[in-house]
Amino acid sequence: MQCDRAAELIGAYLDQELDAETRRQVAEHLGGCPGCAAVADEFARLSRELAAIGREPAPEQLASRLPALIGGVVTAAAAPPYVPAVARWHVPAWLRQAGALLLICGATAAVSALWMSRTAGTAVLERDVVAAHVRSLMQDSPIQIASSDTHAVKPWFSGRLDFAPVVKDLASAGFPLAGGRLDYIGDRRVAALVYGRRLHVVNVFLWPSADGTDSAPRELVHKGYNLLTWSKGGITYFAISDLNLGELRELQSKL
Amino acid sequence: MELSCAGTGGAMTERTRFERLALPHMDAVFNLAFWLLRSRCDAEDAVQDAYLRAYRGFSAFEGEDIRPWLLRIVRNVAFRKLADHKRSSNVISFDAAVSGEPAALQVPADEASAEDMMIGAGERLAVKRALAELAPIYREVVVLREIEAMSYRQIAELAGVPIGTVMSRLARARGELRKALTRMREDERNAM
Repeated sequence: MQCDRAAELIGAYLDQELDAETRRQVAEHLGGCPGCAAVADEFARLSRELAAIGREPAPEQLASRLPALIGGVVTAAAAPPYVPAVARWHVPAWLRQAGALLLICGATAAVSALWMSRTAGTAVLERDVVAAHVRSLMQDSPIQIASSDTHAVKPWFSGRLDFAPVVKDLASAGFPLAGGRLDYIGDRRVAALVYGRRLHVVNVFLWPSADGTDSAPRELVHKGYNLLTWSKGGITYFAISDLNLGELRELQSKL
Repeated sequence: MELSCAGTGGAMTERTRFERLALPHMDAVFNLAFWLLRSRCDAEDAVQDAYLRAYRGFSAFEGEDIRPWLLRIVRNVAFRKLADHKRSSNVISFDAAVSGEPAALQVPADEASAEDMMIGAGERLAVKRALAELAPIYREVVVLREIEAMSYRQIAELAGVPIGTVMSRLARARGELRKALTRMREDERNAM
């Protein structure tokens, strides 16, 4: 056996994943080739070192959160065992059918009621923000001016907006500025600043407040996105992301 | 009244069965997610997503060993996240290109655990860093083989590739790890 071939097989040899014949050939080669034997020793050491790093310990709260999470979907997953359970009760067929119909009607009514109340209660602004955020993620790039340099992003907005947005790079707080773009929300042009956070993208929309007063942050959840809105210094901010609200609040405190 | 009791009873046993089988493997599931995504927060998201998916599809699970099944679900979730990230990083990469280092790469390195701080810390950290620098498909086989001690066949089924591919990926991953560690050890010696 040549060294090239042996080198390919050393790992599998150590893992005891070779058939008897190949195993014998590799062993024979290692016996007569100090170079490959040294590689085998190094691989064996590497295996021990990798095994020694062990598993990354899971966050403690995760173990308690998972059962709660699973409990939340009980109705969906319980459907299959539920049907035979009903069947075992020897309820007359017509009653079962009536019950099922009633259930379906009830569920439909509940869903429509929920949907209608949500649609009615959702501010147009909030919907605009979510739409703008989703649209920005669907495009190749959520930004028109890509830079973490606030002195490049801010002047880019002048002439495109009728106000001067506050542009800050928050890399030190874990929110590096990726860039900015123009967007259209609530019937007006707004500035959109795009921040990165690990794999997540945060859009921060800002425009001059209608009444110019400051307001405390308000949290909203819409279509799985978390929104945080507040006013400061005559500017209304809308931050939106799939990040959790805690992290959005962290961003808010820095802006 | 009795009907709904019977219904909940059925649900409870199914749910308890799932929890009893699946929850003990949370550490393995989290570990794989962590090494694929290289971030504790993203791994946490992925684990929650994976357990929800697993529970919803639990009726389809009929094997004896639930661990490979759970690991396959979480690896799919994690790879999807990585693909999403790649798509969005077409944009974010402007600054990464300037600084020369993608932000995600720094994650495992700056998360030294208490164990890392003790004896053998440097060596342990070097191994973690070298592993973190591998491409995801290589990190995957290394974690499954070396940390989870799975056989090539199990890994092949989990990753959906032939056994030969597992073997060649592992060989390549080990070669790269060895090179990276040799380089780091030399750097350290030169620094002293």
